Amino acid sequence: MPVVKTGMMGESFARLRRASPLAWLAPHLRSRVVVAVLFALALLFPIIHPNDADVDAVANALTYAALALGLNIVVGLAGLLDLGYAAFFAIGAYAYGVAASWQLAPDWSSFWEPFQWLGLVARFHDTGGDVVHFQVSFWLMMPVAAAITAFFGVLFGAPTLRLRGDYLAIVTLGFGEIVPIVVRNMPSVTNGAMGLNGVAAPQLFGWSFGVSATPYYYVGIGLVAFLIFTSQRLKFSRIGRAWMAIREDEVAAAAMGVNRVKLKLLAFATGAAFAGATGTLFVAKLQTATPEMFGFPVSVMILVMIVFGGIGSVWGVVLGALILQMLQSWFLADLSEWLHALGRLLSTDWLQRVDLASSTELIFGIILVAMMLYRRDGLIPATQRVAPLSLEEQTAQISQVSGQGFDALQRLGAFDTAETAEIGPLLAIDNLTVRFGGLVALRSVSLAMPAHSVLAVIGPNGSGKSTLFNAVTGLVRANEGSVRFAGSDLTHQPAHIVLERGIARTFQNIRLFPNLTVLENVMIGMHARLHTGVVGALLRLPMTRREEERARERAFEILAVFGNRLLPRVDHVVSGLSYANRRRVEIARALASNPKLLLLDEPTAGMNPAETLELADQIKRLNALGLTIVLIEHKLDVVVNLAQKVIVLDHGEKIAEGSPAEVQRDEEVIRAYLGRSAAIA
Amino acid sequence: MIVDPVLIQQVINGLSLGAMYALLALGFTLVYGILELINFAHFNVFMVSSFIGMWALQLCGLSGQSTVLTGFALVGTLVFAFVVTMLSAGVIGVAIERIALRPLRGVRGTAGMITTIGVSYILFNIILLTAGASSENFPNPLPVVRWDIAGATLQLREVLIWGITLALMAGLHLFVNRTRLGKAMRATAQDAEAARMMGVDVDRVVMTAFFLGSALAGAAALIFGLYYNFTSFIIGYTAGLRAFTAAVLGGIGSVTGAMVGGVLIGLIESLGGHFIAVRWADVIIFSILVLVLVFAPTGLFGRAMPDKS
Amino acid sequence: MFLRRNLLLHLPVVALLAGGIMPAAAADKTVTIGISLSLTGADAHDAELIKQGALLAIDEANAKGGVAGYKINTTVLDDGTATAGQYDPAQAATNARKLVGDSSVIAAIGPQMSGSGKAMSPILSQGNLAIITPESTNPDITDPKFAGQYRPGGKAVYFRTVTTDAYQGPNMANYFADTLKVKSVYVLDDSGAYGVGIADSFQKQAEKRGIKILGRDQLNPKEADYTTVLTKIKSLNADALYYGGVAQAGVKVVKQAYDIAPKMIKAGGDGIYGAELLKGAGFPASEGVYATIAAPNVLDNPDVKPFVEAFAKKYGHQPDNYSITAYDAALVILDAIKGLASSGKEVNRANVRDAIQASHTKTLQGEVTFDQNGDITSRVVSVFRIVKDTKYPLDDVLHQYKYMGVAPQGS
Repeated sequence: MPVVKTGMMGESFARLRRASPLAWLAPHLRSRVVVAVLFALALLFPIIHPNDADVDAVANALTYAALALGLNIVVGLAGLLDLGYAAFFAIGAYAYGVAASWQLAPDWSSFWEPFQWLGLVARFHDTGGDVVHFQVSFWLMMPVAAAITAFFGVLFGAPTLRLRGDYLAIVTLGFGEIVPIVVRNMPSVTNGAMGLNGVAAPQLFGWSFGVSATPYYYVGIGLVAFLIFTSQRLKFSRIGRAWMAIREDEVAAAAMGVNRVKLKLLAFATGAAFAGATGTLFVAKLQTATPEMFGFPVSVMILVMIVFGGIGSVWGVVLGALILQMLQSWFLADLSEWLHALGRLLSTDWLQRVDLASSTELIFGIILVAMMLYRRDGLIPATQRVAPLSLEEQTAQISQVSGQGFDALQRLGAFDTAETAEIGPLLAIDNLTVRFGGLVALRSVSLAMPAHSVLAVIGPNGSGKSTLFNAVTGLVRANEGSVRFAGSDLTHQPAHIVLERGIARTFQNIRLFPNLTVLENVMIGMHARLHTGVVGALLRLPMTRREEERARERAFEILAVFGNRLLPRVDHVVSGLSYANRRRVEIARALASNPKLLLLDEPTAGMNPAETLELADQIKRLNALGLTIVLIEHKLDVVVNLAQKVIVLDHGEKIAEGSPAEVQRDEEVIRAYLGRSAAIA
Repeated sequence: MIVDPVLIQQVINGLSLGAMYALLALGFTLVYGILELINFAHFNVFMVSSFIGMWALQLCGLSGQSTVLTGFALVGTLVFAFVVTMLSAGVIGVAIERIALRPLRGVRGTAGMITTIGVSYILFNIILLTAGASSENFPNPLPVVRWDIAGATLQLREVLIWGITLALMAGLHLFVNRTRLGKAMRATAQDAEAARMMGVDVDRVVMTAFFLGSALAGAAALIFGLYYNFTSFIIGYTAGLRAFTAAVLGGIGSVTGAMVGGVLIGLIESLGGHFIAVRWADVIIFSILVLVLVFAPTGLFGRAMPDKS
Repeated sequence: MFLRRNLLLHLPVVALLAGGIMPAAAADKTVTIGISLSLTGADAHDAELIKQGALLAIDEANAKGGVAGYKINTTVLDDGTATAGQYDPAQAATNARKLVGDSSVIAAIGPQMSGSGKAMSPILSQGNLAIITPESTNPDITDPKFAGQYRPGGKAVYFRTVTTDAYQGPNMANYFADTLKVKSVYVLDDSGAYGVGIADSFQKQAEKRGIKILGRDQLNPKEADYTTVLTKIKSLNADALYYGGVAQAGVKVVKQAYDIAPKMIKAGGDGIYGAELLKGAGFPASEGVYATIAAPNVLDNPDVKPFVEAFAKKYGHQPDNYSITAYDAALVILDAIKGLASSGKEVNRANVRDAIQASHTKTLQGEVTFDQNGDITSRVVSVFRIVKDTKYPLDDVLHQYKYMGVAPQGS
């Protein structure tokens, strides 16, 4: 299995770099040099090649690159399939179009005077009396339009939050259909099907952009550069990691403290804002807009662009958009001409009649299918394959338990539950009942466990053990009963709140974020303990940088708990790890949230006896540091080794409780296990 | 109580639309139920099938609007056209699955859906480049027979549409519930992995789903042609979108849901258009869809899928 | 990809190709007429007919040895993109820049859609390049109110060989009131700029003339089923249905309206004057449908018959109304070149624009002249009614549409 590594900032150029003559530069400088050269080339393009039509075509392509960047936030990072993205493009375009044209011309009244003073409107003398002329500046309207569309992003996103991917797709598609219809049916505001008239060109220090393509090209370059910067900053931050966690596994993300509602809405709003700003530029450049410009084909094409370029990859989607746009406006038409010329030269009749431009969509369709079949990750994949560990590294002496990890955790005062010692049991479950339709998965289960203890939950398959975990961690809703933790009520709290309060968990069938690295997985575990928001991620102030550094250090310390099992693999994508290592990563991820209570669902499943022993020892040492642990376990030797107390579930009911020795003697327990296995036999 | 004849007429209109949407929705739902894949190629399988249906009828010597058949000639022609169209559509569906989608089986995320968008573009443009952009006259061999029902008009072609739709749905129902392959389909839809372990040939099941779904789209396409007497390269989008909406409204993956959803969308379209305005039809349809999904996130008949953990 | 064209010139093979395609008679002077239409996507069908109409005129001129010593080249651009799925104003703007940037282009024909026209006009005005649209009818572009927007260069550059929506709709409303004695009407449009515009202007005038407007609705042209709204119209007992829009939805309206309300008067603008309607709706559905064109009765013009025959011979199908307006647009430009060349003036953009402005060209629609805004001055709106004539092919526009007279202007 090839080992795969996620590219960090700028490392999308990894392949470029390998063959690059810049090998003498430090890696982080190299990527900066590449970006600087690209940027300089982009700035020089209209000077080297002063062809207004070609500059215009590139400027159009740049607007689509900006849109692709926005959709990439929603689909590529957060994994929310949006098939109506053009709706936001339309809202942004019409926001500026209406605010800087003659479309609305209400009669003048003193109400408008303050706006006139601000320069937003002008008083215009018309034959029928004075009217208001809206002339909001392009530069002001760009962020305002972004804010307006962000609002619509939240508005359209809100009803879709509970929907799974494909339902989300149809609802967003619906919004994509609705917006142009509303635009068309509100002629008094939008001029309907006729299209906007006389949208003002932007002005800079009194100089109007007019109709020349070059200034728009530069605004486009600036916008795309800014959006690339924004995307990169967000992607490699606490926010971006949380989005990717939602994309990879929504449930696990919630269980790791990610507030799904908030982050999904944030993704919708951010993506929409990108489209809003772009719409402003687009309509300013065209100076008109019609509802037909924002239909379903546009949404699909932007999606195609990001898939073609590499979904989730910031540089990839820009490249994808530029290529697909240029293909339409430049290349196919020219190619047909060359073929015609060739045909004339060879006197081949059919070559003279080939018209590739009319086959653009056919060619797109073929590209799309071929890309999916042969290069699914796009032109610049978001994840890069890196060399696997050498044989030497793989067979290195396994330092089973390195003291250093635990020492560091102890030094940091992790899992300190001293203050909760006085308030009785750390976890108290009272008469918890969970029903799925007619099936009772958990029937009036009660238990109480003191801090610093280890409790084992055992029982036959289907006895309700995992349901108990799910009910405690807020993944399924308890029908009756209550859960109290560290003195406060946790019943019916959403999963991310449960984690915030100090309960972390692992899953029976391992729910890691498969396409993220070991380090990223662990850092997502810290989500609730970090504070960086959008602004912090964008500005990357010293405070944010320090927080990131500390988080990284802490992640390494936690990974050190497993000796050198995971440390050499921190930059490896977890889907390529061995089963046992994935279990370890999942535990490390849970520890990263600095829990007071750790719920382990069959932590040693799939491990060989040596590995089981190793893990049991590590769990024991974590407990010794003060961490309270509940584990579901089938291996009785592990249970006897670790737990002070055992409860036994059968058919959702607690049938026994006591020390491991007591439970082993309990007749009902024996019947539950033997009776079941006898029946199977 | 006297019902306004116009309303009866609108219900008749809505039911005819709904029948077509339902047939088309079944294709989405069959494929989705098994692969969890939104098949955008379905839009244009429908469109291509309408051309195949037209060519099949032209093969029988019918063209334009003029020739009207009766009796055995009519039945024979219709049976021939339906068999040819449904088989061809089914074969197209299977070919799409075999060539473009099977290599992507098991790939997470949007890859499959994007591929179907690509296939959709290809089908669309093949027709555009070969048959041209103008709309084509679809032969109409059905005699015009009208009945008066409480002031509203019911036509033979409407009765025929409903009859054929019901017959096909009954057939599908029997197939899914009574045959070995149908049971294998249901098992795969429930849990593909378990089904495979129990010896179900998943490849065959997937191919069957594509064949049946596309064949039903073929039937819908022929019905469309006979009802509206035209076809064109653009008919796939609106009809496909409505049908897809119907499938989601009913609960995508549910056969009953697709049927009920189709009829509901048809009725919403006609009654909404009547009481409000047809220019708001899509807004009404999607608003109702959003409302339904807010309260029932898996549609009206969708299986509630608990988070697997 | 940058510097693409310059780089390519250095490639030997391209140079060879270029050598191979240089016109043999280099002594001949050539000028280029640009054509920008939505050749791909949803509007492709009309685009083809327009392109063929324009090219027919140019080919005929070249076949006669060119125009006053000038051989006419064409450069055909597509403003439809896969991104938009139809006409794309952004691409139209790029095309306008391409035309302006190509110094051999002295005038242009296009676009079809007003949305494209709005994006192109300011750019063409800066380049002082005249364009003649055979199809886009939205009045805004040539409205003096928006002159600062659409012709910042000052002079009109956006000419039309087709009347704006401002006349066909109202004149037909007058015809409804005066001749057909219609008392109540339901108005539909097809959501396009043309359809909405013509329906709006019809509705306004109809109200003024005391015709009761029973309702107004908008059709999705891609939808197949209009029975809902037609059932509603029938239940309102409307005397007439006025449809503003092109044939795409028009065919379905006519066909389904015949089925639901066969006796109701059905009428529309030049969007439903053409072979596509005859072919699509067929008989008996289209029997009795009224349509208008913004030109005198074409059958009065002896040039029309040869045109239709030549067109059908060359392309294997019938021309439509816009093939005629496109043919006329090309004639106007050719006439301008001829006039300049024969009077010894330089054939450049500025002169061609001025010559078009002052044009008195004899075309299929009669003599074409333009006002200061670029609009065609002929405001005759002719009314036709489809009456089946079995002596001719059933999609023969000239014979299946029976001339009913002129739709009165004013009041």
